[in-house]
Amino acid sequence: MRNWLRVVFRFNILGAAAGVFWLVVVVLPLYWIVITSLRSREGFFEAQPLDLPSPVTFDNYRHVLEGGYFNYLTNSVVVTAVTVGLTLLISVPAAHAIVHSPSRILRLSFQLFLLGLAIPLQATIIPVYLIISELGVYDTLWALVLPGIAFAIPLTIVILVNFLRDIPRELYEAMRIDGASHWRMLLHLTLPLSRPAIVTVMVYDALNVWNGFLFPLILTQSPSSRVLPLGVWSFQGEFNIDVPTVLAYVVMSTIPIVALYTVGRRYLVSGLTAGFGK
Amino acid sequence: MTDAAGAGAGRDSDGPGLAMPVDAAPPGARAGRKRGERGGPNLAMALPALAMFGGFALAPMVLVFVLGFTQWSGLGKPVWTGLSNWHEAVHDPVTQGAGWLTLKLMITSWLVQTPICLLLGVFIAGRQRYRSVLAVIYFVPLLLSTVAIGITFRALLDPNFGVSAAPSLAFLAHDWLGDEDLAFYSIVAVVSWQFIPFHTLLYQAGVRQIPRIIYEAAIVDGAGRLAMFWYITLPQLRYTIVTSSMLILVGSLTYFDLVYVMTGGGPGFATRLLPLDMFLSAFSRREMGRASAIASLLVGGGLLLSLVLVRFSGFARMRSQQEGL
Amino acid sequence: MRKALVWTLGLTLWLGLVGSRAMAQTSPAGGTGPLVWALTGGDEKAYQDAVAQYNQKHPAAKITLQLFPNEPYKQKLLVAMGAGNPPDLFFNWGGGILKSYVDAGNVADLTADFAKDPTWKSRLFPAVLAAGTFGGKIYGVPINGMQPVMFYINNKVFQEVGAQPPKTWSELMAVIPKFKAKGKALLAVAGADRWTYLMYIEYLVDRLGGSQVFTDIAAGKPDAWSHPAMLKANEMIQELVKQGAFVKGYTGTSYGTGQSTALLTSGRAGMQLMGSWDYPNILAGSPDFIAKGSLAWMPFPTIEGGTGSPGDVVGAASNLYSVTSKSTHKAELLDFLKTNILSDSNIDVLLKNGSVPPVIGLEAKIAKAPQAAWLSFVYSIAKNAPSFQLSWDQALPPAAADALLTNLEQVFLVKITPKQFSDNMNKAMKR
Repeated sequence: MRNWLRVVFRFNILGAAAGVFWLVVVVLPLYWIVITSLRSREGFFEAQPLDLPSPVTFDNYRHVLEGGYFNYLTNSVVVTAVTVGLTLLISVPAAHAIVHSPSRILRLSFQLFLLGLAIPLQATIIPVYLIISELGVYDTLWALVLPGIAFAIPLTIVILVNFLRDIPRELYEAMRIDGASHWRMLLHLTLPLSRPAIVTVMVYDALNVWNGFLFPLILTQSPSSRVLPLGVWSFQGEFNIDVPTVLAYVVMSTIPIVALYTVGRRYLVSGLTAGFGK
Repeated sequence: MTDAAGAGAGRDSDGPGLAMPVDAAPPGARAGRKRGERGGPNLAMALPALAMFGGFALAPMVLVFVLGFTQWSGLGKPVWTGLSNWHEAVHDPVTQGAGWLTLKLMITSWLVQTPICLLLGVFIAGRQRYRSVLAVIYFVPLLLSTVAIGITFRALLDPNFGVSAAPSLAFLAHDWLGDEDLAFYSIVAVVSWQFIPFHTLLYQAGVRQIPRIIYEAAIVDGAGRLAMFWYITLPQLRYTIVTSSMLILVGSLTYFDLVYVMTGGGPGFATRLLPLDMFLSAFSRREMGRASAIASLLVGGGLLLSLVLVRFSGFARMRSQQEGL
Repeated sequence: MRKALVWTLGLTLWLGLVGSRAMAQTSPAGGTGPLVWALTGGDEKAYQDAVAQYNQKHPAAKITLQLFPNEPYKQKLLVAMGAGNPPDLFFNWGGGILKSYVDAGNVADLTADFAKDPTWKSRLFPAVLAAGTFGGKIYGVPINGMQPVMFYINNKVFQEVGAQPPKTWSELMAVIPKFKAKGKALLAVAGADRWTYLMYIEYLVDRLGGSQVFTDIAAGKPDAWSHPAMLKANEMIQELVKQGAFVKGYTGTSYGTGQSTALLTSGRAGMQLMGSWDYPNILAGSPDFIAKGSLAWMPFPTIEGGTGSPGDVVGAASNLYSVTSKSTHKAELLDFLKTNILSDSNIDVLLKNGSVPPVIGLEAKIAKAPQAAWLSFVYSIAKNAPSFQLSWDQALPPAAADALLTNLEQVFLVKITPKQFSDNMNKAMKR
């Protein structure tokens, strides 16, 4: 045990140095965002970018909160929760099937999902718009959920597949010998053991939906169906951007997803220590 | 016995002989035996995912592919033009340049991100408490929206007002986004900044899966830290490396949002990647057919890349890396 | 584990049900009245004011106004038009893009309505309707201020450098070394936004060869881009680059986030060639700069030996509202356009915003408005301009406009010669 500790410690000096360097690289822009959001718009450029603002002002945050923020927040939360929930609901079984089935059709499906990784969203917006229009859900939140699910599926399945196949076959063998169907195996074995992966994709999918801009732009129009990324429009004009207010908006839009990640990470950590033992 | 401080998957000695499988049959035989059995999970499990994906992602892509054979400005009716878009796209110097630039982005991104993420992932997989706080901070770049990152770095990299102006950081004073050579690398740097957290997470999860017993056995054999990293950690991470690399390479192929916001493809053509060329063809030049052809080529390229990676690394054989333990 | 699973499933389903109720509540067209799309920022208040005034008198069928920022708006409008699902009334810049919608049959012809009500047309500056007139038919109604382009000047910097703002081109070239000697630049320009380069070539060509040069180009005359004035203009631009007239890092400086204007207000540059829309930005971002009298303005210098009128102006004449041809609300919209757009109260809102509407006879009102000095300047140069040239990237069809921006950027980067520019543009016009 002591040997192990000493070895780990020695190795991580290098890692620690890298970690500190990376910390600075990460924190600097974040710091800039926060202090700039507390600046007033006047004299924004005259000040040194990295200095603390001298009259700290919360006006920008006030503007944000008064400008329909809570409406957009609600829409974003609903769209993200439903999209991610449904995506996981249908992707976990699919990944399980791909990993455990010898069927050639499922092999082909996996390759189809790989194709999905390479589809550029911007190319598909016109056809997706037409489909959504035909379905009659244009300008509702369903218009954001349905394509959101479709485009989250490839990545979700690829990551899940990578994780699932490391679950030892013997565990499944044991259940099969006991006469379990694959649905039971999915529920009682795959699901509990793949918690870290599920949390990983859940956070990443949530993130993509939360920050997704293009589909909301094209598939909604009324302010009542607007999500957070579009709400920033109120502070952007044709010839000017109110940078401090926009950054205040950014901070307010990022806090919920940071919260989600912090909570999710705890499950991630505990899930990983459980490992594959029973 | 669960080891709370263990860095790898703890294996219980409970359960019917699961801790140290003594399976002596070679992997091929095992797979063969399985094929004869009850046939595995049925298609129904994957059907909903296939249906959603097919309806809202594949079907539009097929439409895009068909549009590639037409000329259309977005208004009125598309006009069938056969292969001329494809021919033009492949021969147009701007699109060719975009193609090479995209390839450069793919390779550079991979070279920059993979080593950093590997090291960071291994580092964060350690268990000291401050590391979990760090891990949250490290992750925030990924959580920011494109608008946020675009505005932030546009401002920080401004040649007159950003970090270039801070007197104590004189070595950072360059025309980051205005110089044609620098602009590309600035983009690589910002994209890496955004996505390193994600791949670090993948590697972290991958490292945590490596059973501790392997390391313990190696220490008993007298292996040094570098040897353990090289001979244990890396091979065990093979499939994670493939997944991460695939996501980086294919992701770079279709990367659009941030570049559009930060440079719009400029200065000149210095950052005009293929997805940008496609988007600008569609909405600036109103050449939807041409843009669709480029999009289809992108998808084709991405798929080819993924398939090659997958075949080459044995990813598709769905076998666990931990077999034979 | 099963409990967790049940919980998750339950939560998702519940969210789905609640969500679907939330999601279905929005009726897509936002009501039974007409739907209007316009841009955020700038004169947003004026658009909202006009709609509010109308809705007060017509509570039964209110107008719904939805606002979007510049870039997303263009894409959204294109997609909506192409799919046959456009708003009833839409904001546009006239010129090539509006023409593309007109050619596709999507825009209503308003000529007859203008003919029925002569005062509607006669109170407006004649140049302003031109941007929305194709083949003699009027397709757009002006809604906001005229936006001419001029030089914004930082007086203090000129004093520091010991020079006067240049009235002629040779004076301008002479001043450049004086600025360089003091470590400043004469001209702030936002290269990252490409369209900012246009103002230079538009003015140079006009001063050198008159407004006919571009009129011929827009009419599609073959090889019109090879006019000597065009070649000379590009040479002069590259001369500026070589002499170091532009600010350091101009190729990567952006305008939208206020960086290039900040170069002017912070004293790093002496002048910026920009449209009148920038004044409200300066007012909001650096009010002291104006209050202390550091801001001055002047028209584009004259060029010795040029044949263009010194009073010619380039910029945006005004933005327009156009009616979609399939709209079922034409009567209401015409009422709205005649009564509430550029009405007296609407004009007051615009003036307060720093915008100068293209309406004849506003001198008295302007003199009483805040920022009167600025507004009078803008009004007079627009009123007295023999020619008011619409920004080239708006005037040309989309594909040619894109080629123009790309090639012009190459000129400013000194990567192509003036001749190559002209050849490329001639080719682009043929597509």
